[in-house]
This record gives sequence, structure tokens and C-alpha cells, in this order.
Amino acid sequence: MSPEALRAVDVRKVYHGRGSPDVEALRGVSLALRRGERIALLGRNGAGKTTFLRIASTLLIPTSGQIEVFGHDVVSSPETVRPLIAVVPQEGKPFFHLTPREQVYCYLRARGIPREDAKARTEAALEKMGLEEVADRLSVTLSGGQKQRAMVATVMATEAPLLFLDEPTIGLDPFARRAVWDVLRDLTRRGCTVLLTTHYLDEAEALSERLYIVEEGQILFEGTAEEAKRQIGGTLRVSIENGGNHRERFASFGQSVAEGNSLHIITEPGRVHEIMDVALREHLSATVGPVSLEEAFLTIVGRSIDAE
Amino acid sequence: MAFGLRWAGTGVFLATEIRVQFHEWLAIVTGTLTPGALLIFVAVLAPDLIAVTLIGSLVYSMFLIGQRVLNEAAYIRIDHKLNELYHASPLSPEAYFVGIAGGMLVAYLPPSLFVLVILELLHPLTLVAWLVLASCLLAVWAVSSTIGYVVSTLFKDMKTIWPYSALLTNVFGIVPPVFYPIRFVPIEWRSVVLLLPTSGAAVLVNSAAGLEAITGNEAVLAATALAMEAVALFLFGIYWARRMARER
Repeated sequence: MSPEALRAVDVRKVYHGRGSPDVEALRGVSLALRRGERIALLGRNGAGKTTFLRIASTLLIPTSGQIEVFGHDVVSSPETVRPLIAVVPQEGKPFFHLTPREQVYCYLRARGIPREDAKARTEAALEKMGLEEVADRLSVTLSGGQKQRAMVATVMATEAPLLFLDEPTIGLDPFARRAVWDVLRDLTRRGCTVLLTTHYLDEAEALSERLYIVEEGQILFEGTAEEAKRQIGGTLRVSIENGGNHRERFASFGQSVAEGNSLHIITEPGRVHEIMDVALREHLSATVGPVSLEEAFLTIVGRSIDAE
Repeated sequence: MAFGLRWAGTGVFLATEIRVQFHEWLAIVTGTLTPGALLIFVAVLAPDLIAVTLIGSLVYSMFLIGQRVLNEAAYIRIDHKLNELYHASPLSPEAYFVGIAGGMLVAYLPPSLFVLVILELLHPLTLVAWLVLASCLLAVWAVSSTIGYVVSTLFKDMKTIWPYSALLTNVFGIVPPVFYPIRFVPIEWRSVVLLLPTSGAAVLVNSAAGLEAITGNEAVLAATALAMEAVALFLFGIYWARRMARER
């Protein structure tokens, strides 16, 4: 069996519009997931993340290129690939007129999991996702977050070797998000591989071992969150209150970004004292903190947009 | 695995759909309103046509199951994205299609059984008539389920689908002679209505039940058309389900 859970090579997808221009959603995406990895796919809305996930999960046929799941081609051997994967679709909802317990159990049975095993996995998934108290209520009566948790429980209970999760924690409160993170970490410890998309960059940082940043159907960055941060010219951010009008004064210290009246300078630790000196001389207050993944993301994607 | 078809999980998905529908029992009950209202009108205004209308109700109810397939398949695809959950799984697209169609059939059958009891009380059927009735209803279910499933995949918005659902119901269920005898249809239109699955089925059952007379040629035409439509469309439904499981 292939050592990689997923390998994509030069995947392209063009949507042919009826009466509207063609849209090139993917422009040669290549990536690889090792077994047991948690990988995040980041990108703006419409960057191509969902298109990639749908192709990898056999739901969409690429225009060209190849994706293999555990060595099986997703285009020519979908029947072989499907038992190896499970998908939380973007904005997916459980059957409103089933209870979470019924939803998880029925899905496992439809996947061919034996009755007793399906029952045990259902109970375990409901417990892990904190749904025991509402397990026998129709999903239509649940909150948005509970419905989303029911979807995640449905998919995690499959224990499929490769899980695709398209924005799995959207609409969840911070506690529920962390419960999902714990479940995903536990699954990968047990050998599952996880590919997720998210707009929560703290989630990507906390959860993924590597991440890919996608923009306009192309991969702009591949690496760890720390490597992404190093890409933007510094590991620290100095924020200067009311510094917006003094941008030129700080230009030599690193990349600067104005936000309202504040000025943020991305720099290395060795230059912080120089910036603070200048700020004090100008009677400006300044704070220092670590660069966030969000800043790295904005910079990497922003550069790409500027380049166009 | 005949023709590469895989049916594993069909029963489970069918049971899932039945369970979903039974949680919405009011929809099952209200599904009898249209044929029920027509039965009351006919019972009051033309009691001699009540048996024809009862048979029409059965055919119409069977065709309505296809419209429920349309609404259910569209709803779980557009609103819930559950088709993606199931298509990216070992459950085959053909099992998914037959599961929805079969689930709707079983869930919405009880009101029809009630109509069948009334029909048997008012106009007892011979064994042959029962067989013709069962075959025709099965054929109408196959045709309407396929039409419903295929139409459900053509649109991206529930609101766009509703008018098509109403249109199909009226074109196949109300306008042609389903609730009324074929003798009211002008002679030049008789062949056309015999070719329609709903009116063809109603005419065949009425004829088998001795409620109206049709020629041998008309019976052959209606039976052949219905059988061919049922088999051809159902096979097309399976092909379409497989095709739609993977967008292009």
C-alpha cells in the first residue's frame, strides 16, 4: 500500500459556465499527505479549497491531473477509494427528522458496518462530541452548533483512514471547537489522516501539522505555521498606537501595515528596541507580541494579490 | 454486481428514509388530501364514478410518491448536502437512488392501503384485476420516482424546483383521465393518453376491473408503453444516479 494517504499531482479544474465565462478553480495543485497527518488547507472564499476536497473525495472529476488516495486513483477507481474516506461537506446538515443517534447509526450501517459495532461507535461518537443529552431529540430541534457536531460525529464514527472536513467547526462555540480538535487529534493518533479546510487560523495553527495556503487555485505556501510566519520577514509584531501618520519613520524596520490609527511592524527580535526608541521619541505607545498565523496568511495572500 | 451495479446498503438507506418520513407523519397524512377531496366531490356529484375515482386515487398517489422523491432528493442535496456524505462512501449511487425511491414508496403506502380497502368494499376486484393493479402501480412508481429523482438533480435552488413539482403532478395526474373514465376523452386523443404512464395505468386497471371498455389494441398499446416506460426510465434513473454522484 502507498505510504501516502493522498497524493495530488498538477490538478486542474475548469468550470464551464453556461453563458458565463469559464472559471479556472484549480491551476495545477500538487500536494501530498502522509498517513496519520493533520493538514489544513487555507485560502480565501473561492480560492479552490472546496473544489480540491470534492475532487479528492470522488465527488467531482478534475479537468486534468491526478489524485491518488492510498495509491488508488480517485477518477478511475472511485469504488475502491470510497470505503477509505469520509467527508463532512461544507454547510452539511444532518437529517432534520432523525435524532443524532439515528443519524450516526444509520450512516454507519449504510457504510456496511455491522450492527453491534455501529451501535458501539455511535455511542462513543455522541459522547466525544458532547451530544448524549440531545441524542434522542430530532435534529431539527437542535442548535446550529449541535447539528454541526452531529455531522462531525457521523463522520468521525466511521474511523475511515482518510477524513475530509470542509470547515468542520463553522458555527461552533470555542468549547465545541476544542472538542472537535481533541477528536481529530485522537483520530490521527490512531492512524487516521485528516485534511481540513478552515477560515479559523487559530484552529489551523493549533490543529494542523502542516498547512497549504491556496489562492486563485494555486498553492502559495506549504509548510508549518511557524514557517509561514517566518515567510513574512519577522517573528514579532510591534503595534504602535496612533502610528498611522508616522509610517515613513518606521519603514526601515520591517514590513509595516496600517490598521485604523495603529501601525503594525513585523520585525525580528533584534530590532525591537530600535523601534521602541523611535516610538518613545515620538511620544507614541507601542506593544510587542508574536506574529500570528493570520498576519502571515494576509501577507502571503496579499503579496499574491499585489503581484497580479 | 450485474452490469457493475452494487446494491449493498440499499436496504439500510431505504430504512433510513422510511424512518425520516415517519418522523414527519403529518406529511404522510396530508398527502391523502387531494385524492381524498376528489373522492368526496365524486361521491356527492357522480357516485357511479366512485370506483373509477378510487382507482385514480391509487394511481395518483403512486405518482405523488415520485414528487416526494423529487422534493426529498432535492432537499437533502441542496439544503443538507447529505448526498456528498453518502456519495463519498461505500454506498453506491444506485443504492442511494433506489433507497430514496423505495423509502418514499413504503412510507407513503399506508394511505393507499386505506383506499384499497374502500375499493374492495365498494367494487371487489378479481385476482386478475388485483394483479393488473399491482403491476400498474409498481410501474407508475418506477416512472414517477425516476422523473422525480432526475428533476431533483437539475436545479440548485429548492424554490426553482417547486413549480416543476406542481407542473408534473398536474400534467400527469390531473389533466389526463386518471380520476375520470377515458370515454370522456375525444377519440383522437385516446392514443396519447394511453401512452402517458398515469392515464395508461388507470385505463388498464379500470378495464381489468370491468369499469370501462377498451379495445384489445388499446390495452396492448397501454400495457406495452407502460412496461417500456417503467423499465427504460428506471434504468435511466440508475444511470443518472451514477452520473450525478460525480459532477463534471
